[in-house]
Amino acid sequence: MNSKLKKIVQYVEKNCQADDFTLNIFLEDSHETRFAQNAVTQHIAGANLSISLEVAFDNKTGSCEVNQDSPETLAYLIKTAEDMAKLNQPDPEYVASAAKQKFTSYESAAAATKELSPERMIEIVKDSIRNAEKQEAKVSGMTEKHLYEHFLATKNGFRGSYESGSFGHSMTIIKADVETKISCTHKDFASFKLKDELKKLNAQFSGLSSPQNFDAQKIAVILRPEALMELLWFMCWMMNRRESDEGLTPFSDQLGKRFFGKDFSMYSTLKNNELSCAPFSGDGIISEDRTWIEKGKLVNMPCNCFWAQKIGEKPSRLFNIYIPGGKSSEAEMMKKVPKGLIINRFWYIRTVDMKKGELTGMTRDGVLYFENGKIKHAVNNLRFNEIPHDMTKRILALGTNQVVESYLDLPTMLIDGFNFVDKTSF
Amino acid sequence: MKYLDLALNSAEKLGAEYADIRIHKTTAQRIYLRNLSLKNTSNQVVDGYGIRIFKNGAWGFAHSNVYSDAAVLATVKKAMQTAELSASANKGRGLRLAPERSYIAEYETPLCIDPLSVSLKEKVDLMMEVNRMMLNYEGIRQAVFFLLMQKDEKLFASTLGTRLDIKTSFIDPMVIATAVHEGDSQSRTFDEGGRATGWEWVLDLELMEKAKQIAEEALIKVKADPLGPEQRRSLILDPNHLGLTMHESVGHPTELDRVLGWEADYAGISFATPEKLKNYRYGSELINFMGDNTLDEGLATAGFDDDGVPGQKWHIVKDGILNEYGSTRDTALEIGLNYSRGCNRATYYYNQPINRIPNLYLMPGTKALTPAELIADTEDGVYIQGRGSFSIDQHRVNFQFGGDFFWEIKNGKLIRPLKKVLYKSCNPEFWNSCDAICDERFWRPFGVVNCGKGQPSQTARMTHGSAPARFRNIRVGGSQ
Repeated sequence: MNSKLKKIVQYVEKNCQADDFTLNIFLEDSHETRFAQNAVTQHIAGANLSISLEVAFDNKTGSCEVNQDSPETLAYLIKTAEDMAKLNQPDPEYVASAAKQKFTSYESAAAATKELSPERMIEIVKDSIRNAEKQEAKVSGMTEKHLYEHFLATKNGFRGSYESGSFGHSMTIIKADVETKISCTHKDFASFKLKDELKKLNAQFSGLSSPQNFDAQKIAVILRPEALMELLWFMCWMMNRRESDEGLTPFSDQLGKRFFGKDFSMYSTLKNNELSCAPFSGDGIISEDRTWIEKGKLVNMPCNCFWAQKIGEKPSRLFNIYIPGGKSSEAEMMKKVPKGLIINRFWYIRTVDMKKGELTGMTRDGVLYFENGKIKHAVNNLRFNEIPHDMTKRILALGTNQVVESYLDLPTMLIDGFNFVDKTSF
Repeated sequence: MKYLDLALNSAEKLGAEYADIRIHKTTAQRIYLRNLSLKNTSNQVVDGYGIRIFKNGAWGFAHSNVYSDAAVLATVKKAMQTAELSASANKGRGLRLAPERSYIAEYETPLCIDPLSVSLKEKVDLMMEVNRMMLNYEGIRQAVFFLLMQKDEKLFASTLGTRLDIKTSFIDPMVIATAVHEGDSQSRTFDEGGRATGWEWVLDLELMEKAKQIAEEALIKVKADPLGPEQRRSLILDPNHLGLTMHESVGHPTELDRVLGWEADYAGISFATPEKLKNYRYGSELINFMGDNTLDEGLATAGFDDDGVPGQKWHIVKDGILNEYGSTRDTALEIGLNYSRGCNRATYYYNQPINRIPNLYLMPGTKALTPAELIADTEDGVYIQGRGSFSIDQHRVNFQFGGDFFWEIKNGKLIRPLKKVLYKSCNPEFWNSCDAICDERFWRPFGVVNCGKGQPSQTARMTHGSAPARFRNIRVGGSQ
C-alpha cells in the first residue's frame, strides 16, 4: 500500500465515530488513445482517486464518496457519511462490515504494463492505421492502459489491498459494406502481439466481402467466444440467489436441478493466471474457486451478504468465468449440421422477459453462412430473441477455449436452432 | 479562479492553437430503497479539472484532481504531449474546429427548492411511505424507490476569451412495483426520466397516487394475457414510450460524430449519412424533430456546451425530411458547416467532451386531437405506455422495442390489458408510418439521464418529448 493510501486510512480510523465503517479507496492511472477513420480523435491522460466511506450507527447507514484526499475533504467525507446515517431510517437488512479474512495473495501489475509509454501506444495506433490504409479501408478503435490500486478497510478488521493493470487494444475496420472488429485485453502488455491481432483482423475482414441477403430463421450457429461472452453476461446478471429465491428470475426453484444442457458447466476460478481478478469485492466478499453450473445442474448462485446471512450460506461473488470447452474445430463443427451461421459478436442485448430469461439483440461485426461443411459467403446482420439457458440444451459441439477480455475463459460453441427473428439492411 | 488563466497562458506559451480548461465539480445524492431497506444512501463529490489542447489538427486532453499551480502546469504539459502524439499519427488528416466567438456569461438551472438542500429525513420519509403503500398490495413482491439528485458546477475558459460560470441541476425519482403470480413476475414503473428543476417538482408529482396506480397496474399486468403471434397492427405510443424510441432511432443516428464514423468501434455509426441531408424522407410530413438546448427544464439545457458554444434550437427533421445534425466544433467542418450546434458535453471533469444528443423532441400535431379521439379512431392496435426492452442495430436501422404497460385496441376501444408485447420496425419505415399526433395540450417531456456512449464510456442526459402518436402497419406481437 502506498503512503498516500496509508494516510487516508489512518485519518478515517482516527476520526470516524460511527459504530461501523467500510472504507474503499481506488486509485487509477490511465492513458487512452482513441482513433477513428484512420486518425486520432481523442487522447486522454490522467489519474483518478475515489474514496468511499460507508458508516453505520446501529443499523442506520450512510455513505459518502469523494475524489480528493486533503484533510478538509476527508473531514467532509466522514461528517457527511455520519450525518446521513444519523438522519436515516434503520435498515432492516443491515449487515455488519466484513471481519478480518484470509485471501489468496495477488500479483501486482505486470512490469511491461506499468512501463508502457504513450509513445509506444501511439506507435501501435499508427501501425493499426497503416494496416487499414494498405487495404484502402478505415480503422477505428482504442488503445488503453490502466493501472489500479484498491484498498479495503473495515471497522471489524478487514484489511486488504491489491494492485492490477491492463492493456487493451480494439480495432474496427470498415470498407464499403464490410465491417468487422477484434479486441483484446491483457494483464501483461508483454502478452500483446500486434502482428497476431492484425493477422486475425485481416483474416476476419477478407472473409466478409460482398455480404448476401439472408432472412431470419431458426438455424444452427457457431458462436465465437466474444459472441458467447455477450450472451453470458446477461444470463449471469439474472443468476442472483436472492432475486431467484423471491421468484423474480428464471432460476427460481431450480437450485440443484438440471436446468441447463448436460454439456454446459460454468465456474469461477483463480487457477488461470491469464485471467485478471480482484481478490475481494468492495464489501469484503472473497474471490474463491466456485462451481456455479456442473454438467447442466445449477449448483450455486451469487449471493450478497444479507441474503447469505438470512439463508445460512456463505456470501459469494461472480468473477473470472470459466466454461470448459472441447476439441472441435470450426471446420469440424460446420460438418455436424447441414447449414448454419458463424457469429463474431452480438450487440445491444437487452432483456425482453426477465422471468423467462429471454433476451434480444443483434449480430455485429460479421456473419458468415456455411453449408455442407464450407463457408459460402457473408450475410447481413440479424436480430435474435433467445433464452441463453435454453440455448445450452442445444449445444452440439464445443471448441477449444480462449481468454476473452482478460476475465473470461470461453470456448466456441455450436448451437442448434438459434432463434433469429428479424434482419437489418446491412 | 486563478487556475483558468494559469492554464491558458501556459498552453499558449507551449504553442497551443486552441486550449480550454473546465473546472468541474459534480455533487450527487442517491437514495435507493428496496422493500423498506435502504440499500444505498450516498453523497458523491467528483471535483477536478480537464484541460484540452488543440495543436496541428489534433486533441490532447489531461485531467487532475489536485488544485495547485504545479499540478495545473503539469496537466497542461501532459495535454500538450498527448496532442503532439495524436498529431504525429494523423499525418495531415487532422481535425479542424468550426469558428466560434467568445462569451462571458453565467447560467444556472432555475429552481425554487434545491433538492440537495432538502433534509434527508424528508426524502426518506416520503420514499418509505410510498414503498410501504406498494408493499401493502398482496402480490407485490418488490417495491423500489430510487432518487437521484445532481448538481454540476463548471468554470470554463478558453483561449478564444470565453469565460463561463455554469451551474446545472436535475432530479430523477423512479418508483417500481414488481408483482409475482403463478410463475410469472412483471414490473410497472413510474419514471419520467429526470428533469432540470427543483424539489418542487417531486412535491407536485403526487407520488403516492402514482405509486398506487403502478402497484395496481403491476398486478393487472402479471395476470394479463400475452398478445399472441406477430402481425401488422396500429400502435399508439404515449410520450414516455416515444421518448426512448426517438432517442435511439433519431437522436443517435443524427449525432454528427457517428455519421462521420467516429463511434465505429463502439457505439456504432449511422445510416443517416450527409448526402441524405435536405432530401431523405425520414418520416411522414407530420414529423418535425427539434434539437433544442434552450428547452425549459431540459436536461441538456446548460446555456453553453463544453466547447463554449451557446445552446440553440434547430430542426433535425423538418416536415419529414432529414434537415441537420447535432454537431460540435470538431465535427461541423467535416461536412462543410461553419458553425457548431453546441452538442459537445462531458460527464465528469476527467472526460473529454464528445458529441451528444441535444434535448430532442417531436413537435405536437397542429390539428386538435385528443388521445381519446385517437384511440376511438383505431380499429385494431395496441396502446403502449412507458419504456421497456429496447435494442437497435449499430447503424440505427432495425429496432425492437417493448414497453411498460399495454392495452389492446379493438374498434376504437381499449378492450384488455396485455403483457410481453414487442414491436419490430426500422428506419425509415417507422417514422413514415406515423399518421396522427395529438395536439400540444398533450405534449409531455421525458428525460434520459444515463445515455451511454464513447470510449472510455460516458453517460449524458437530455430531454425528449412528444404528444401521443399513432403508427400504422407495424409488426406487433408477443415475445419469442
